[in-house]
Amino acid sequence: MSLAPGWHPVALSGSIDPGTSAGTHLAGREYVVWRDNSGLAHVWEDRCPHRGMKLSFGFVRGDHIACLYHGWQYDTAGRCRYIPAHPDLEVPATITVPVFATVEACGMIWTTTDADPDRAAPPPGDGETVPVASLHAACGTEGLLDAVRAMPAAPFVAGTAGWELSQVGGTLWRLTVGGDTLLLGVQRLGDQRSALHVAIEGSAAIYAGAGQAHWHAWIRALRHRLGAGPAVGARPAAAMAEAV
Amino acid sequence: MALVLYNYDLDENCYKVRLALSMLTIEHEIVAVNAFPGKEQETPPFLAMNPMGTLPILKDGDLTLFGAEAILAYLSRSQDGSGRWLPADGAGFALSMQWLLFAAGDLSVATRARANALFGTPGDEAALRAGARRAIGAMEDAMTVNGFAGQDWFAGPAPTIADVALFPAFVLSRDFGVDHDEYPALRKWARRFRALPGFLTMPGIPDYH
Ligand code: FES
Repeated sequence: MSLAPGWHPVALSGSIDPGTSAGTHLAGREYVVWRDNSGLAHVWEDRCPHRGMKLSFGFVRGDHIACLYHGWQYDTAGRCRYIPAHPDLEVPATITVPVFATVEACGMIWTTTDADPDRAAPPPGDGETVPVASLHAACGTEGLLDAVRAMPAAPFVAGTAGWELSQVGGTLWRLTVGGDTLLLGVQRLGDQRSALHVAIEGSAAIYAGAGQAHWHAWIRALRHRLGAGPAVGARPAAAMAEAV
Repeated sequence: MALVLYNYDLDENCYKVRLALSMLTIEHEIVAVNAFPGKEQETPPFLAMNPMGTLPILKDGDLTLFGAEAILAYLSRSQDGSGRWLPADGAGFALSMQWLLFAAGDLSVATRARANALFGTPGDEAALRAGARRAIGAMEDAMTVNGFAGQDWFAGPAPTIADVALFPAFVLSRDFGVDHDEYPALRKWARRFRALPGFLTMPGIPDYH
């Protein structure tokens, strides 16, 4: 399974606090997403060069991430800087973790495995966003988008009637419902496993609290639909909308 | 006479009580029970205190209590002058009870999943894991929604014994194959919990410091 070129969302920005880490997958491969204490996000291969344990189980100390197992510490460039069992050792520069380009946009953390020269521009957008949640589903990304299409939602802020899902580019989609605009980051975790990162494009003054809860309810309904199997999926969307 | 906790270090229900004793700074004695391999809690002297043969058991003078959640309720009502660990107001009390009962009920599948994974106790591994995932998913949803309202804890604006009762199942979930990657709201909550005064770990919970 290979990863499509371009940028991939790996988490909502707000889901990774400074000084914390989490594991994730892209096309079946394991990655660790972590934020150093200065707030900068990093996406690396989730594999400690020492014995191959997951770095996402480790912990962040300043601008180093430390492996849980034997405490090897890596700097933000992925280079091993400290080995507790040999505290005086000048660690060889060859002990490194593969690191990937990482940006934050649209309220999400993005990465790409593309080599520098043929790297596309990262997703656009530095407008204000309000995070909702990430949905994890046991289906491919197409199945996830089909479920979104079949899952009409009521807007939090009323506006012109209508409902539109459009692809901004690559893995980023925009859903417009009434006066609301949502940004949907589609992550391919594996063949039959995907994630949808949902953020509201708008100001916290309008959406913080009740607006977030409104869209979280939609995500839960979407999850229910995805988990409910084909019998429910075959029902007309209008009936589903009423049921919700 | 001091409180006495009949304890087994590797039992996450005993851990709930050890956490509460430490966080509420309650003086106590600990009696180590040979639960494994001895099954001492299933012998007559222990069955006299808890007919179900489980731990923890708490003795306070003439009072004998079993069941971690009931013990937490007792400790907070009898020993916590601030009253904040088991709020008295209707909603705060009911939400605390809701999550305490959830911890002892719906979430207990996590304890069984862990025992199955670590000690090979009987059970359908896939069903146990799915049940635990569902209960932990319900916790994630609850804390996500609480977060929208700026509420950092399960039953209100401050930590309660509900948080104590819910903590072990989540923090130990990797033992039964449920990792934390898909639960950002619970990761943040667990991190806040770990920073509370009196927090202590149990075997299996890495101490980051
Ligand atoms: S496996 Fe990471 S330090 Fe040993």
